[in-house]
Parts: sequence; C-alpha cells; structure tokens
Amino acid sequence: MTRYLSIFLTFARACLVRDMTFRANFVLECVTSLGWMAMNLAFYLLVFTFTPEIGLGTGWTKEPFFAFVATGMIINSIVQALFMPSAEELTEMVRTGGLDGILVQPLDAQFLLSMHRVDFSAFANGLVGVGLLCWAIPRLPQPPHPIAILLYPLLIACGVAILYSLVIMLAAATIHLGRNQSLYDFWFYLTNFSRYPAEIYSGPWGGPLRALCTFVIPILLVVNVPARVIAQPLTEQGGMMVAGTVFAAGAALLISRWVFQTALSKYRSASS
Amino acid sequence: MHNSSQPRTDAPTAAGEPVIEVRGLAKEYRVFDKPEGLMASVTGLFNRKSRVVEALRGVDLRVEKGEFVAMLGPNGAGKTTFLKLLSGIITPTRGSATVLGSVPWERTDDFRRRFALVMGQRNQLWWDLPAAESFRLHKEIYRIDTPRFERTRDELVDLLDVRKLLLRPVRDLSLGERMKLELVAALLHEPEVLFLDEPTIGLDVVAQHSLHRFLAHVQAERQMTVILTTHYMKDVAALCKRLVVVTEGSILYDGSLEQIVDRFTSHKIVTLDLDAPPDRAAIDRLGFPCEIRGPQVILRIDRTRIADVLPGILRGQGVRDVSVEDVPLEEIVAEMFRSGSTAGTDGATGAPR
Repeated sequence: MTRYLSIFLTFARACLVRDMTFRANFVLECVTSLGWMAMNLAFYLLVFTFTPEIGLGTGWTKEPFFAFVATGMIINSIVQALFMPSAEELTEMVRTGGLDGILVQPLDAQFLLSMHRVDFSAFANGLVGVGLLCWAIPRLPQPPHPIAILLYPLLIACGVAILYSLVIMLAAATIHLGRNQSLYDFWFYLTNFSRYPAEIYSGPWGGPLRALCTFVIPILLVVNVPARVIAQPLTEQGGMMVAGTVFAAGAALLISRWVFQTALSKYRSASS
Repeated sequence: MHNSSQPRTDAPTAAGEPVIEVRGLAKEYRVFDKPEGLMASVTGLFNRKSRVVEALRGVDLRVEKGEFVAMLGPNGAGKTTFLKLLSGIITPTRGSATVLGSVPWERTDDFRRRFALVMGQRNQLWWDLPAAESFRLHKEIYRIDTPRFERTRDELVDLLDVRKLLLRPVRDLSLGERMKLELVAALLHEPEVLFLDEPTIGLDVVAQHSLHRFLAHVQAERQMTVILTTHYMKDVAALCKRLVVVTEGSILYDGSLEQIVDRFTSHKIVTLDLDAPPDRAAIDRLGFPCEIRGPQVILRIDRTRIADVLPGILRGQGVRDVSVEDVPLEEIVAEMFRSGSTAGTDGATGAPR
C-alpha cells in the first residue's frame, strides 16, 4: 500500500511538473473550469429568486441546496482530477497499442491505468466547493450533527468510489470496442442525474428513473447521500441510505474490478 | 485458451535450464472485414463478416541463458505477436510457454520485474517530461534501491553518451536519442531477459551502430538473454549468433548464421574488377550466371567448384582485383521468405538447429 502511494505521488509529481511546463494551458483550464462553475452557481441563484425551495417540503432551501452543490463539486473534482484523465487516455492507448507498455510493468494494471495522470486544474472546482460548503454550513437551518460531520468524508469517499467504478467500467468497454470516443460524453450524461436532489425524480417517469439511478446504477447516491447527511437532519431513513451507499460503493468497486480484469484478459493489442 | 497448469517458479534459472521454452504456441485473431461503399457499410452494421487470422501457428522454441537470438521475418510474419505473448501482453489461443519459469500471461509481478520489452515503434517514456523523470518513476515501479539505481543509470547513460539529454523533454529529442533513452529505461532494473522489437527501425547508420555496440556490450557483460526482432540484416550480423526465420506464423529456420549460408545457398559471389569492360560473349562462355557493370563482372559460382575454376578466370581476363563472398544474408532470407510463403500452405519446413 505504501509502495502504491509512493508511486502515485511520483505520478502526481510528474504531472505537476508537466502542468507547470505548460503554465498558460494550466491557467486556462482552471479559468475555464471555474467559469463553468460560476455560471452554474449564477443559474441556481437565479432559480432561488423564483422559489424558496427545490420541491416543496423537501428541505432543499437555498443554503442546504448550495451545500448539495458544493458536495457535488468536491466529489466531481476529485474524480475529474484523479481518474478521468487516465480513463480518457486509455481509449487512445487501446487504439494505438500504448497499453502494451503498461501491462509489462510489475504493478496492478488497474491502478496504473486509472491513476497515472492527475489533472491538477480540476482541483480548482473542489476548492471552490470547499469554500461554498464553508459558506453554506453556518447558514443551514439546523447545524450538522457531530455524527454527520464524521460520516461526511466517508460518504464523499463512497461517492468517489461509485463514480470511479463507473469510469473504470466505461474505460473497460474501450478494450472490447477498440475505440470508445464517447466515453466522456456518456460519463457526462450519467453524472448529470447526480447533480440534482433525488426528490425531483417523481411522478410516472421520475419514479422509475429514480429507482434505476438508485438501485441499478447508484448514481443518485453519489451526491445526495453525503449532501443530505451534512445539510439536513439525520433520520432513520437517512441512516439506511448511508448504509446503502457504503454497500453500493463496495459492490461497485468489486464489480468494476471484475469487469476491468475480464476486459484486460481479452486485450488483443494493436498492430505495430 | 492457455495452459496454466505448468510448473512455475520465480527462482533464478539454473544453468542448463532454458530461460524461454515455447511449445506449440499459436495465436488466432478474429478480424472483421470492412465492406467497401456506403450501402455495404450500413449492411455491415447488422451483418458483419469475420474471419480467423492465424498470427502464430504452433511455434516451438527453446532459448538458453545468455543467448542473443534474432527473429527475422517479413511484415505480418508473427514476430511481434510472439514477443507480445512472451511478455504476457496477450494470451495465446493454444500452446504453452514459460519465460524464466513463469507463464507470461499470468502477469505476476515477480515475473514482470525480471524482463523488459522495448518496442521501436512505441514510446514508453513520458512524452512531455525529461527522461530523468521517467527514470525516477521506473525506480519506484521496479523498487530499485537508490544506490543501485544511480549506479546502473550512470553506467548506461555513460555507455550511450546521453547524459546531456537527460533533462530535455522527450518530445524534443531525435528518434535515435529517444531510442537510446528507451533502452536505458528498460535496462535500469537489470532484467534477465530483454525483448527488443525492431529497436533500430528508422534510425540512421550512426545511431544503429551505436545501439549495436551498446547492446553487444551490455548483453555480454550481464549475460542477458535477448530476443530481437528486426528487418535489418545489419542488426543480426552485428549482434546475434542464432537466427530464427519466421514467415506466416511458422518458423522456417532456427540455427546459426553460418549454417544458414551453408544450408540455403549452393554458390558464392565472385566479383572481378577488370582493366576494361569485358566482351560479353567471352564472359558467357565461362558458363556461370553473371552480371556486368562496366569493368566489373559479378559471377555466381558453385561453391564446390570455386577452387577449380578461379585460377583459369584470373589468368584470362586482365583482372585487377577479385573478391569471393558468400551470398548476402538479405538475399538468402528474402529467398526464404518467398519460398516460405508458398510452402506455408503445404507445411513450412522447419529446420531444427
């Protein structure tokens, strides 16, 4: 474990050196990303000029909702920074045969393939998320319970684990397909569902969608559960959701591991 | 499908045991034929035609410790597929293989720490960073302790005279410089087996020569087992005593360089430099296949008759200079490729050592 951490830090260091080599690109990426976040926040502020709450009786008034948005920003920025660059590169590596070089190295291939690139500019969103959370928490209708504060980092980790598993399974599809340029698009469509409170998925269409995104592809648990724990009072139902999220994260990691290993065993390499 | 029930040890290979042992190794790929035209492409979405390509057809090979083996073959012969199987990158359709006592495609870390693969057409160093950064990463991945890492790196870097390149981004290096640094990276962990896939492809003669000297020195010093795939006869002549010729996924010849000349040619090339362009009819009367280039005559003479006929030729033609050579290796191998590709369907003739 220490060795893997040391290797990851070496990767991270190399990526930082590279990012600093192309400083203008790094700054531009940070600015673009922060601009997109600012537009999103402005949009939500606009929404709250029309309504005091997202869904009547849901508890998602302005400050809790911004705690929700902040949680989403933190989770997404971790995934975008640590895993997405490598997963996107995997598509190209499979197509060009660059994966060969990874498979001969004496390390877990999944670790190497999913963590060898770190996009430091993506952490900018996470920092904004932390700032937004720090702004929202003192303004919540009810301060978070100490247990909620302890559970929050664990649930953030679970959310990251679920998203990571999805990324890895999508990347594994690349090995079967040979080419999977829609990886990022598909990722974006999927994670779109996780950006809003689960309560908005109701009615004849919303209900089944909510069930699908909770029990089949547990994308709705990713942000909703940690955000609910920190921004709303703890309830018995909330406790079950916490347990469900921890279980879903563990199951997602195991399934994605199996999918990835199976895909690697089918790897045919590219012609040289 | 692969045989994973073979005995496997990660202990150092004992003297006399083969470092590489391959039996009946075969690899088949299913490839889809892409039809031509728009309508055919649309139809192909629903009904794709596929066929099986045999990249390797039951190859047997045994390589002892410290051997430097060259694999020669035309494009698509199966050389790279063979190296990918021995490196564990892909799994075979049939057959078995052990490298250093391990089944390669089980991809154990212990096995992967003991070999290296260098592919001339693939870059394994970090493109935007100086090679020194990739070396540092390599140190971590292969768990090389600092004194050993520094000693090996310095030794290799000095041998290839690339110290001044270490801090330059890899993308700014020439192909030859990059390949030298790829080799340094591959050898940092002191592998016992080295697979080289066309390492000199695209290099100029100076860079080729430099790599030859380096590889010969390192292989001899470390008693490393090396398999080299190449298209260049110069690589083979400079580095290897043993040659394996592959076409269409089968081994056509496996033996020494000297043997291949004896075995597959019946004549030698005699080149005569004359005072003046000769009379064509007089040359034809000698009765040997010939080529005339100005005052130079190139004859192909049966090797058993050379001693008998050469004195007569030298007396009669005003010869200024003469050379007697074996048929160039390129020519022999090209002929083998041609005959091998026709023999492939009715069973290629393997020539055991």
